[in-house]
This record gives sequence, C-alpha cells and structure tokens, in this order.
Amino acid sequence: MVDFPLDVAEPTPTGGRLQRRVTSGGKRTSWVTPSRLLGLLIGAVFAGPAGFVVWRTIRLGGDLANVAKEVPGPLWRTVQLSVLVSVSAAIIGTALAWLVTRTDLRGRRFWRIALVLPLVLPSFVGAAAFIAGLAPNGIIHHALSTVGITPPRRFRGLSAAWLMLTTFTYPYVYLPVAARLIALHTSLEESARLLGLSSTATFFKVILPQLRPAVFGGGLLVFLYTLSEFGAVQLLGFDTLTRVIFATRQSNRALSFASATVVLVLALAVVALERSQRGTSRPDDRSTAVVRRSRLGWGQAPALAGCSLVLLVGLVIPVTSLATWAQRGIAEGRVSIRDLVQPAISTASVAVIAAVLAVAVVMPVALATTRRPHRSSDIAAVSVIVGFAIPGLVIALALTVLTLNTPVVKGLYQTSALLIIAYVIHFGSQALASTESAVRSVPHALRESGRLLEPSLIRRFFHVDFPLMRPGLVAAGGLVMLSTLKELPATLLLSPIGFSTLTTEIWASYEEGFYASTGLASLVLIAVSATLTWFLILRRSEVVRG
Amino acid sequence: MLRSHSYVRVAVTLAAISLIAASCGGDDADITLYSGRSDNLIQPIIDEFEAASGLSVEVKYGDSADLALLIDEEGEAGKTAADVFLSQSPGSMGFLEERGRLGAVPEPTLALVPDHVRDDGGSWVGFSGRQRVLVYNTDAVDPADLPSSVFDMTDPQWKGRIGIAPGNGSFQDFVTAMRATQGDDVTLEFLKALNANDPVLYANNSAIVAAVGRGEVDTGLTNHYYNYRALAENPNQPSTNHVFGPDDPGAVLIITGAAILAGSDNAKLAAQLIDFLLGSSGQQYFATETFEYPLAIGESPANNVPPINFSSDVSNAGGIAFEDLAGGLEATRALIAESGLES
Repeated sequence: MVDFPLDVAEPTPTGGRLQRRVTSGGKRTSWVTPSRLLGLLIGAVFAGPAGFVVWRTIRLGGDLANVAKEVPGPLWRTVQLSVLVSVSAAIIGTALAWLVTRTDLRGRRFWRIALVLPLVLPSFVGAAAFIAGLAPNGIIHHALSTVGITPPRRFRGLSAAWLMLTTFTYPYVYLPVAARLIALHTSLEESARLLGLSSTATFFKVILPQLRPAVFGGGLLVFLYTLSEFGAVQLLGFDTLTRVIFATRQSNRALSFASATVVLVLALAVVALERSQRGTSRPDDRSTAVVRRSRLGWGQAPALAGCSLVLLVGLVIPVTSLATWAQRGIAEGRVSIRDLVQPAISTASVAVIAAVLAVAVVMPVALATTRRPHRSSDIAAVSVIVGFAIPGLVIALALTVLTLNTPVVKGLYQTSALLIIAYVIHFGSQALASTESAVRSVPHALRESGRLLEPSLIRRFFHVDFPLMRPGLVAAGGLVMLSTLKELPATLLLSPIGFSTLTTEIWASYEEGFYASTGLASLVLIAVSATLTWFLILRRSEVVRG
Repeated sequence: MLRSHSYVRVAVTLAAISLIAASCGGDDADITLYSGRSDNLIQPIIDEFEAASGLSVEVKYGDSADLALLIDEEGEAGKTAADVFLSQSPGSMGFLEERGRLGAVPEPTLALVPDHVRDDGGSWVGFSGRQRVLVYNTDAVDPADLPSSVFDMTDPQWKGRIGIAPGNGSFQDFVTAMRATQGDDVTLEFLKALNANDPVLYANNSAIVAAVGRGEVDTGLTNHYYNYRALAENPNQPSTNHVFGPDDPGAVLIITGAAILAGSDNAKLAAQLIDFLLGSSGQQYFATETFEYPLAIGESPANNVPPINFSSDVSNAGGIAFEDLAGGLEATRALIAESGLES
C-alpha cells in the first residue's frame, strides 16, 4: 500500500504472472540461504521488543486472577475502538480517494493535497485542541451556538475517541487507495460503463475489488495505530489496554506487561487475518488513456461538503485552536519561536534519518516477500508489522533493558542512535508495505535483461531496480518520517540528555498548563511536517500531479 | 531546480551533520539529574546552581513515573546514570524506595526541612509543596456557600458543578491521602457519591483551571498553584482558590522530593545540588516562579499565596506525611475504578 508516487515504468501483466509462477515453488526450498537469513535477522531485531514483553510478563508472573479481572473490560473497549476506527477510516479514506481521482469534483487538485494534511497532527494534540475548542469560549462552541446547536458538555469516551482517531488516521487509507486508483487500468471500468452499469455500481462491482489490498493494508495500519495509541485516549478518558499499560507501569508492573502481551497477541491475530484476506495485488498496469471521470452532477455539492467537513475537523479546527493559544502568548511576549529552533532541527534530523534507515532495513524483507516468498519472509514481515502495535513506552523500555544488559551495545544507551533504532522498529511497518509495492513495480522483463547485462547483484540493484523503485521508496520513507516527527512516549524515555524535540516541548508545556507554548510548538511541528512532506515526498508524487 | 531525490540527499546529509554536532556536546557533566519536573520549571534554578557552584549539571526531563522506571532498570543492570532524582509524584519516589534504588540524603541536608516533609529513613527530602484546593469561578459561586470539607462536595447543590481529573497523579495522591486518614470504606463511599453527583471529568489540573476560568464548570479539585499560574497568564480570569478546613484530606499537601540514587558515584556533589534547591534562592524560585510552597525552615510563599502552617503540625495544616502517600497507588486506582469515576 501507500504506493502513491507511482511514476514508474509499468510492468507487463505477463511479467507479473510469470513471476508468480516461477516463485510459487519457492515455499518448499531451504531456510538457509543468505537472503533468507538476512530476512530472519532483520525480523529478529524487530521482534526484540515483543520478545522482551513476553519474557517480562513471564518473569514478573503476577496474579492471573487479577489479570482476568482487570483486562477484559479494557480489551473489549480496545477492540471496539480499533474496529470502529479502522472501518470508518477505510470508508472515509476510500471515498475521498475515489472523489479526488475518479470524479469531476471541483478543486480536486487542492483537495488531493489538503486531504493528506490531517496526518501531520499528533492525535493527542488534535484531541487537546478539540477539547479546548468545544469548551465555552472555544471556537467550536461559538460556531455551534451561533447555528443554534447546544454544544456537548463532555467530549470524551468512545464516540470522542472514535471521531478523533478516525480524523487523524484516515490518510493511512486515503494515500494508498488514491495511488492505486491512479495506477489502475480503466479498461474494465469503461467496459462496465458501456455495458450500462451506473457509476456507483461500477465503483462497487468493478473498482472496489481491485482496491482491496490497498484498503486492507491501510486499514491494518489504522488498526495497529489505534491499538498502541495513548495520548488521545488518555485525554478523552477512554480506558483502553494502552491506558492500562501506562497507568499501572509502576504500581503493578505484572498487570502492565500482561496487558502489553494481550495487545501483542491481538495485533498478531489481526495481522495474520489481514494477510490471509487482503488478496494478491496485481502489478500496477497504468492506463495511458485519459481517465474517464464520473460526473458527480447533483452529487457535487454533498461531495464538496463532505471533503470540507473532513478538512474542517481534521485541520482547520485544531489549527485554529492552537493558533489562538499561540497568538495570545506571542502577543504578551511570553513565548518566542526562537526557543523552538533547536528542537525543530533535532526533530527533523532524527525523523529524516529514521525514515531513510527504515526503508533500507525493510528493503531485504520486501524483496523477499515479493520476489521469493517463503515462510521465513512471512515471519520477518509479520514481526516488522507488529512493531507498530507495541506502545512506544514499551519499545523504549525494551531497548533500555536490552542495551543496558548487552555488553557489546551498552554504549548505545541514551544516544540518538538508539532513539532512531526505536523509531525504525516502531514504524518500520509503515515503510514495509510501500517498499513492497515499490519492489513490485520493477518490471520482470527489465530485471531479466539486467541479469544478462550486469552480473553483479549489487550494481544491478543500484542501476536497474533502485531508480525504478525510488518514488515508492520515497513514499515509504515519508510515512516513517511523519510518524517519527509526531512520536512522544519513546522519545521522552530514550532521548539523549539535553535532547529535546518538538513533541517533548509540546508535552512538557501542556502538562504544566502553559498553553501558549503548547500552541506555538504544535504549530511549528505542523509547519515542519508539512514542509518536509512537501519537499521530500509530495512534490513529485502522482497524488499531487496526476 | 533541485530534483526531489537531491532534496532527500541534502536533507539526509544535513540531518546527519546536525545529529553528530548535537551528540558531541555536553558529555560527562559533574552531576546527572533526572527531573520529573519539566525544564520550564526547573532549568533556570539549575543554571543558577551551575553559575554559583562552578559545577556542570546535565538534566534528563520526563514524566516522574517513566524516569523512575528508567532508574530502576539502570539500577537492575548495575549502570545507574543519574545522581539525583526529582519526583513530582510521591508514588514514583515510593516505588524507587521499595526497589532499593535510593541512597541516603546526608543529615545536614535533611535538617534543612521540618520532619514532616522528609523521609523517616532519610532517603529523600521534600523541596517544594503543592496543596490540594477547590478552584472556583467567582462569577458563578458565592464564597459563603463553599464547604469546609471536600466530603461536602457530594451535596446535591454541587451536582454537575465540580470538575475533577480522576486519571491524574495528584488526584490519585489526594485519594491515597484520604485512604490513609479515613480508610478505604469511607473513601470508596465518597468517590461513589462524587461520581453520582455528575462531576465533569478532565484530563489534568490545568484543564480544570482553564475550564473554571471560562465558566465551563463552576468548581474543580486541583492543586493550588495552577490557578496562580493561570492568573499570571490571564489576570482577568474570574477564578480563585478555596482551601478546605484543617485536617481535611481535600487540603492535603503533596511534596515534590529529591533523592540521591544508590548507584551514584557523585553523592557529595549530588547533596550540594539538593542543598542549593533548599537554599534561599532555590526556595524563593519555587515560591515566586511556580507558586509552590517552599519547604525549607524559614522560607515563606509568594505574596498572594496564603501561608500554611505545615511545619509545626502536619495534621492541623491538612498535610500528610509523604510516606503515607507513597505506595498503595494501585489500590487507589482500583478504588477509583470501582467507584465508576474512571470508565
């Protein structure tokens, strides 16, 4: 998924089919080849924190009766929230992607970029801004009162968490689905339309089935994100398992780790389910013909209203709230943007490096899963993906314990290197799927010719494969970068002494009630994220240009 | 014009350079401090200490509970990095004490504060205090109506008019104090009655004070200094503190403590830092900048903060000894959950 910039040569359908036939026999071959061992080694590194969680849970033992009493409630709430958020994000993300790529929606070029933007807001900042906006004197409160609606007295619980998390995660679905829609051959749709299907029927019967891997892949990321999310559910008072992990991390460590194990098992089950249901994605064979756009007709107005509503909730309201806080502080000379320059540089630096490293590290896994599928590559891929479901706090603790107790690597403790490793493990899953589709986008025929002309595997990779994969890899790195920019719990624990990032600044000022600083630091974070995303990722991607 | 991959290359190079530059600075300071209090509120006084003593201090900031976990893991591995720990939460200090991670604070340092705000065993010393209060909106509440005990906030006249933050550490400390003085049954009864009185729930203290200031809710249970801080940002905010009567658990004093870690190889310098925090400039910094109660003998709070007599008689001041609050946090959390406040 997340294969949005696909300006690459299209593989021939035959190439794809041939490739599958050739590799389908591979499942039975040996586990001990260099590439499989490399894949397993990478998988083992990613599985480190998960292994730590299980080991700690067993070692702490703990009272099973207590776990049986404390876990089911939060577990049920976690499942509810994760399912609701991922389903609604899948629907909204897919619908928006279809609107901006396949219809005559007015201003679709603007919407294409704008609808990505809610992704740059950390969900706890978004939730905090929303809470402030809904309070008397808040902007939402004002707006609702003006149109005669009584604003809700409480903004918390399941519905609030559902709204907030959906709003800030649907781009995980929107991006890959939009990319898939751009890359998809339109001949089938055209035939369907010629045979008299309405555009709605064409969407459900012809287009949607072809989008399945992209929707499922994006939906899985949303699900795992919701599983490990802490800041927003904490603010919104929805007691999920992650909240139990945090609340009892000191007072009842056995319960805390037992809850983390439950999260892990849940994540594994969902990842396995997704992998069995997503279906195989066909090679992207882009049509050169002009895309036929559905006429929205009377639907133009509701479509525009829908897009506006999403953007209003996901960007305009939170940013306005934050700006109100910041502006009050600046006006009174209490906060200054100069204090935020160093944190902004630190944040951007670790994020860019983590992004590049994540793509490099998951590349061997992606090569293995797409070109030489084998049980070993499945294991590696699953352990990369599950890293996203483990809360940042737990990953940080795991790496702390592992580095402190392993003589060879103990020098890494409290260095930015370890912090970056934590980001790579936590967010590698976001790079994996895009990297996989980047690998898939290299035509088989080209690889065959390369093999004849250039015997060196490494040179072939850099001269033939890499240039073709680059747009997909940039997209993969982009998601890791954005997530790293927003990360808080692992950053707080693992940062080297004296190293502050924008999120740690936001957290510290919010905790202490210095809203002016919170607002300003959040706006700087949004600006840095948007700028980096634009220059490094979006500018050349098809989601913007196509 | 640069192509996009050149941008990536330039960005990666710049990022690497700035990281290397960042990681070269500031190693091997004389004292390493893990601070559960954020840098806005502590760094200025650390800077003053560095200037006055000629020693260098490196500080790792974070949540008290997270830092305590880190210190525990470091201690477990025999690689304690920190010399001093400042804890905002009595629970975190209690956790480390229980895990045997705290060393001894020297006698002369302990003697700077009254008995009631330091550990009996001498493993930590309080340096500033926060009192639990009821903040109220002066436009919406007549001070004459305000009760002298937090138990009266379950009265029907406060239905839907009280803001609380049940997930917050200091609310939990307050409940622990109530358990220590009144027992679990009375505490659970109170929490249930409070929940039945339709309280408005918030994520933390500052959210409560902001909400009271905006008139979103009439009153709120919080720490005393949040309102002074809010007033410093917005002097026109119609909110003020009400302190419940003496002996009331609603007026408990929560202590921010300092400890020297068992694994520290700089215990002498560490004590020097704590002495500075307990000295006049340190104490007045907390009094005037964070509006907390200074704890050292002979220091008084900021002008607009009403003095409390915690040093002569703890129970009269509604204060509670630190060790009664420490530990038992899980039981507190369970009571809060049982009352229905946290679901």
